[in-house]
Amino acid sequence: MSELNTTWLGLALRTPFVVAACPVSDDVDHLARYVEAGASAVVMRSLFEEQIIAEQMAAHHLIDGRTDMDAESRSFMPESGTVTLGHEHYIRHLERIRARTGVPVIASLNGVTPGGWTEMARDLEAAGAAAIELNLYEVATDPQESGSEVETRQIETVRSVVGAVSVPVAVKLSPFYASVPAFCRQLAGAGAKGAVVFNRFYQPDVQLETLDLDTNLHLSTSAELPLRLHALALLHGRVALDLSAAGGVHTAEDAAKAIVCGANIVQMASALLENGPEYLAATVAAFAGWLAEQGYRDVAEARGVMSLENAPNPGAWERLNYMRMLAGWQPRAKRR
Amino acid sequence: MSKTTRYVTIDANEAVASVAYRLSETIAIYPITPSSPMGEHADDWAAGHRPNLWGEVPDVVEMQSEGGAAGAVHGALQAGAQTTTFTASQGLLLMIPNLYKIAGELTACCVHIAARSLATHALSIFGDHSDVMACRGTGCAMLCSGSPQEAQDFAAIAHAATLHARIPFLHFFDGFRTSHEMQKLAMLDDETLLQLVSPETLRLHRDRALTPDRPVLRGTAQNPDAFFQAREAANPWYDRCPDIVSNMMRRFENLTGRGYRIFEYHGHPQAERVIVLMGSGAECAHETVDWLVGRGEKVGMVRVRLYRPFAIDDFIACLPPTVQSLGVLDRTKEPGATGEPLLLDVIAALVDALGRGTAPFGALPKIAGGRYGLSSKEFTPAMVAAIFEELAKPRPRARFTIGINDDVTHLSLPYESGLDIEPAEVKRAVFYGLGSDGTVSSNKATIKIIGEGTDLHCQAHFVYDSKKSGSMTVSHLRFGPHEIRSTYEVYHANFLAVHDPGLLERIDVLERAADGATVLLNSPLPNEKLWASLPRELQDSLIAKNCRLYAIDGYQIAEQAGLGRRINTVMQACFFWLAEVLPHEDAIQRMKDSVVKVWGKRGGEVVKRNIAAIDGAVAGLHEITLPAQADSQHHRRPAVGPEAPDFVQRVTKLILEGHGDRLPVSAFPPDGTWPTATSRYEKRAIALEIPIWEPDICIQCNRCSLICPHAAIRSLAFEPAAAANAPASFRHVEETYTDELDGLQYVVQVAPDDCTGCGLCVEICPAKDKKQPKRKALNMRDVHEHSAAEREAFAFFTTIPHPERARIPRTIKNVSLLEPLFEFSGACAGCGETPYIRLMTQLFGDRVVIANATGCSSIYGGNLPTTPYTVDARGRGPAWSNSLFEDNAEFGFGMRLGVNALVRRAEQLLDQLARTLPPALVDALKAPVSVAEEAAVAKRREQVAALREALAGRSDLPAAELAHLADYLVPKSVWIVGGDGWAYDIGYGGLDHVLASHLDVNILVLDTEVYSNTGGQQSKATPLGAVAKFAAAGKSTRKKDLGLLAMSYGHVYVASVAMQARANQTLEAFVEAETYPGPSLIIAHCPCIAHGYDMLQSLNQQRRAIDSGAWPMYRYDPRRAAEGEPPLEIDRKGDQLSLREYMQEEPRFRMIELKDPARYNELVAAAERATAERRAFYEQLAEIHPIAAKEVPNE
Repeated sequence: MSELNTTWLGLALRTPFVVAACPVSDDVDHLARYVEAGASAVVMRSLFEEQIIAEQMAAHHLIDGRTDMDAESRSFMPESGTVTLGHEHYIRHLERIRARTGVPVIASLNGVTPGGWTEMARDLEAAGAAAIELNLYEVATDPQESGSEVETRQIETVRSVVGAVSVPVAVKLSPFYASVPAFCRQLAGAGAKGAVVFNRFYQPDVQLETLDLDTNLHLSTSAELPLRLHALALLHGRVALDLSAAGGVHTAEDAAKAIVCGANIVQMASALLENGPEYLAATVAAFAGWLAEQGYRDVAEARGVMSLENAPNPGAWERLNYMRMLAGWQPRAKRR
Repeated sequence: MSKTTRYVTIDANEAVASVAYRLSETIAIYPITPSSPMGEHADDWAAGHRPNLWGEVPDVVEMQSEGGAAGAVHGALQAGAQTTTFTASQGLLLMIPNLYKIAGELTACCVHIAARSLATHALSIFGDHSDVMACRGTGCAMLCSGSPQEAQDFAAIAHAATLHARIPFLHFFDGFRTSHEMQKLAMLDDETLLQLVSPETLRLHRDRALTPDRPVLRGTAQNPDAFFQAREAANPWYDRCPDIVSNMMRRFENLTGRGYRIFEYHGHPQAERVIVLMGSGAECAHETVDWLVGRGEKVGMVRVRLYRPFAIDDFIACLPPTVQSLGVLDRTKEPGATGEPLLLDVIAALVDALGRGTAPFGALPKIAGGRYGLSSKEFTPAMVAAIFEELAKPRPRARFTIGINDDVTHLSLPYESGLDIEPAEVKRAVFYGLGSDGTVSSNKATIKIIGEGTDLHCQAHFVYDSKKSGSMTVSHLRFGPHEIRSTYEVYHANFLAVHDPGLLERIDVLERAADGATVLLNSPLPNEKLWASLPRELQDSLIAKNCRLYAIDGYQIAEQAGLGRRINTVMQACFFWLAEVLPHEDAIQRMKDSVVKVWGKRGGEVVKRNIAAIDGAVAGLHEITLPAQADSQHHRRPAVGPEAPDFVQRVTKLILEGHGDRLPVSAFPPDGTWPTATSRYEKRAIALEIPIWEPDICIQCNRCSLICPHAAIRSLAFEPAAAANAPASFRHVEETYTDELDGLQYVVQVAPDDCTGCGLCVEICPAKDKKQPKRKALNMRDVHEHSAAEREAFAFFTTIPHPERARIPRTIKNVSLLEPLFEFSGACAGCGETPYIRLMTQLFGDRVVIANATGCSSIYGGNLPTTPYTVDARGRGPAWSNSLFEDNAEFGFGMRLGVNALVRRAEQLLDQLARTLPPALVDALKAPVSVAEEAAVAKRREQVAALREALAGRSDLPAAELAHLADYLVPKSVWIVGGDGWAYDIGYGGLDHVLASHLDVNILVLDTEVYSNTGGQQSKATPLGAVAKFAAAGKSTRKKDLGLLAMSYGHVYVASVAMQARANQTLEAFVEAETYPGPSLIIAHCPCIAHGYDMLQSLNQQRRAIDSGAWPMYRYDPRRAAEGEPPLEIDRKGDQLSLREYMQEEPRFRMIELKDPARYNELVAAAERATAERRAFYEQLAEIHPIAAKEVPNE
């Protein structure tokens, strides 16, 4: 039987399967079942910078705006410190996950401005986070801010978090950089230890009937994997970062593809939400079966064998192949 | 000040609650203004596991009424627990039966009372002694305190004394004036309290407990042979009680250095004129006596602390032997009595002492009895001085009033209102703000900073108007080196701030400014424009009073700091900078420290932004140099326009302008009867943005006017000719969506000065511009850009006749074209209750009588100065009354009985006169009217008119009587309206009884799932999992299923409705309830600010409540059973959304998640279980077919 253990940001993990930042980590008991099923680490749900600020201000506005406005009602909520705002409850949840599961717990921060995160990252480290995953999710809407300015600000954010903690920091990226490899090099330079490709953009849809935006976040499918595979293949061995696939890993085959393209680990969310812990156990077993069948002694041996560096036909990862694929495509009506 | 004593700046409610909590094992509570905060503090502390003096967390339990609380107190006492409760006004009245019992059984107990007016011709939430005086006969001791410090100290003395005396104590202090006054006071520590309460008396209290280990029996029934003697057997305890209290006060003095006496004389040692009074007024009298004595006058005052048992000898002993005339002041009124209670006690004491020869004077002094301060009417040094002046007369008036102008019975004493006796070293500040802008909160923070950071004494008193949206607050603050006894508002302020520029146009703010005052205005206008924008009157006053004028754009600074329009921190910083109570830098640093201390737990961002606001404020403050002369071209807007009727001009206008105190007695209806239809004259103009209609996009669905909580956006179909002379600003289009309205014109019109700017109409508007979907048929726009045009258009709108009611289809699309007879109430912006009331008045308003339970709906429905119930073009409209909180179902039931009696009499007279009237008319009038058909009702009105015509000119008595009663032949609708606190809790017994009858009444329960009016305390309608006051850890039991209980009778029409999201079902329910010839109950889901979310989201959130099953939608119509159908019809299944998804959108649920996620999950699971069970149960009920009529035994 092949060895399933792997490393991520210097952490020794017993399998390459990691629970991604998603609602799976909300329920500690439920989460424990995924860990039993083979998840070797847990990335907690993201702590959003804007959300924390918005929640603080909303609660403040709510409590304060309805206080002392009427002779009969001083306020509308009990006065005691019922509400704990900010990241305290996140920290308590982190402690509960650690105590219950025993696997490394990676705290996820979603912030886009330097400075605001350092204290929070320190608190998370103090609470026992094995690593910090910094999600650079950002929707650029300001026409005045150039791409390089956005990137500079993001690198600065990474640097400030890395400087604040002694645990390793991974960065979760979006696919939309002029050069993902160049940006990853900068990340490594800023002290990051790993890159997670990719976060899933919030992509609102348009409802034609009501002329509204559909703001539901839909679960991923395996169809989203190739974008990740491509990036992994380009990055493996070319940047000083551990790599993780995230988004589109639904099956053992998906995981295997990510590993051979260069991933140290795969993070799963949608498939777990849809199918539960038993499915993860089956997926881990099937992955182990594939590894053995292919004759790899361990995950490290399989990692990156299909990357740009190692693939038998590396040109297929490059632009040339795109041209060929387009040429091979014909509209349905014209096909024979 | 002593180093060991801890000084805090709190109000009396908090100070008293702190003592009562620490000295109690059981606390039974029920919310009632102004005592609610005592219960809230106790509940909050218990939720936080704060122990009492003996290390235990007291049980704090909310009951269903004060009657219930008193019963629970009685029981807990019988079981041996140290027990307390807090109440006021009607609540105290409900406790009276138990007070007789508790006292009759010689049981140690302490009740703390924020004394408040009793409802008579009107309800009043404000302070006087009419409630406590109604308890004189109970046998309770009555101890009165006059300031927050005293209230705290007397709470302790009362708890300790009652254990010795075995007589229950009513400890009372003036509602609002004392209960809500913040004062710097020396806090009683645990050690002092422990030393005060004797363990031996506590042991004896417990020895008297009912226990099967030492069984006894209490509560016997006694007969003529025994009762009298047994009653007299308690006398020794009453004889001993005053000494016990005196001794306890001495003991307290030894422990704390603060000495009190049961009667306390203060003034000239050889005073000739003395006044006697109790409560907060005594503080003002004390201050005035000092001032008068300083001017060489021989005056003095007696403060009554222990009013019952009344210790005659102690009272006589405290009077100076030189006294020649006595003025006895009562803060209550007993119509028809020979005098008010304290006066009678004083007369009896004097006569008794003279008779026994124990008086230090040989003859009875001249005695004058006066009433003052009813319902928190101001009591000032000028009034005290006027009373002393009266006492100096050879024959002072035997009975007088002070503080009003009685031009009817001429009892009132004149007084010089401008008298200012406050020492110059006292800094006085007045702040005019809005309820929503945080002015009061920031002033509370200010007084804490000064009180707890300096050696200064301080006092803060807050005055609110009665509106729930756009309300005005006035804060009165004092700071000084000596004790502050000025228990009245600030009239000569050294510092005066106006936080809302709109108030400058409404109120004469400068009337409270002293000469040379610093005046601070918040205004978005730049300096040069600001001065010019001020009304002429204000400019004149600023110059005449030599004011220094400062301005700041608080909105901009708050906005820049990320605080929206919340200007309180900005304005507070300006106060500290200008008022110079503390050195500048020191003050600003203390403010910042306070921000961290108070708001730190709400997160770093909150602190950061508020600190930025402080810095921004100091930088943004600037002085405006006053010119030598006023030059403004405009004057302050009169409170009402010239079109208002006489009563509004004479009475309402003054109240609106803040000068209600100037109205003489003759201005008022003596029986509380008040005209309706006056809210339309109160143009409050509180919205910053108003909805503007785009006719080209509008699909004429009328949802905007259907959802509007204030009837401030109207839709109307009208005859084209009516718009012949319309101004250009009045935009209208052809009505093209309803066949029945063919040929009419259509308009959607906002009432710009009545709109609160809640935005619900825009939120619900479904019509979007196809080219630019963000543009709807209604869009919120800056009021300044549109108010002039819309004002003109709305004025024209009000002149357009409504079409005949019968022409408007009773469909949800068209029903809001009917004229609303409930408009422009003072309810909160976005209120979820008022649309139901408005709809009811649109459907039945011209023939409805409403019984309204006390609560939000009685406040926005009937609180002066204006009344929102209005009339149609024929002068018909809802007749409305509020009796009490607890009796509303019975009250409405009685209304139905009364209406029925007059209907019967009219029918009887019609029969009697039938032979003398046209037979066809008599037959028509005797036929039943289908109230579901507007045309039938209109027809009946015509028949009644014909009857009157037929009776006209006849001189026989039956004909005259029938003509007088003829309108009763048109069916009258009786609606019983109230909130969940009434229907589920305090009024449930009566509601149940009314439902059990066959009487035709319609009951509308406006269910906000909390006591909204008193600040969000839980009721039995509060859903499982919600945080509310008195349920700080989240309610763990299910919401009472009121509908199911009503359905169990079988003959009651029941509907559970939610109008904002599903108006169609609401309309059906209203019509079915009206036509159902027995009791009908409609339980209406009402979004409320107490739920903690932005009210703009209320329709979406109500949809979630329905879709998740949190709010069931059904109608139970007993008529369906007669047709062999299941009477229960489920209108929405409520399984489209998980309950969690509903709950997570409301802070009242989510607060638990933030505090304790595990408990949150448990509560959600329990709520999901409860909802699923109810859904399944209802689905089964809806399948039950009734037993065939022949199988049902006759009832």
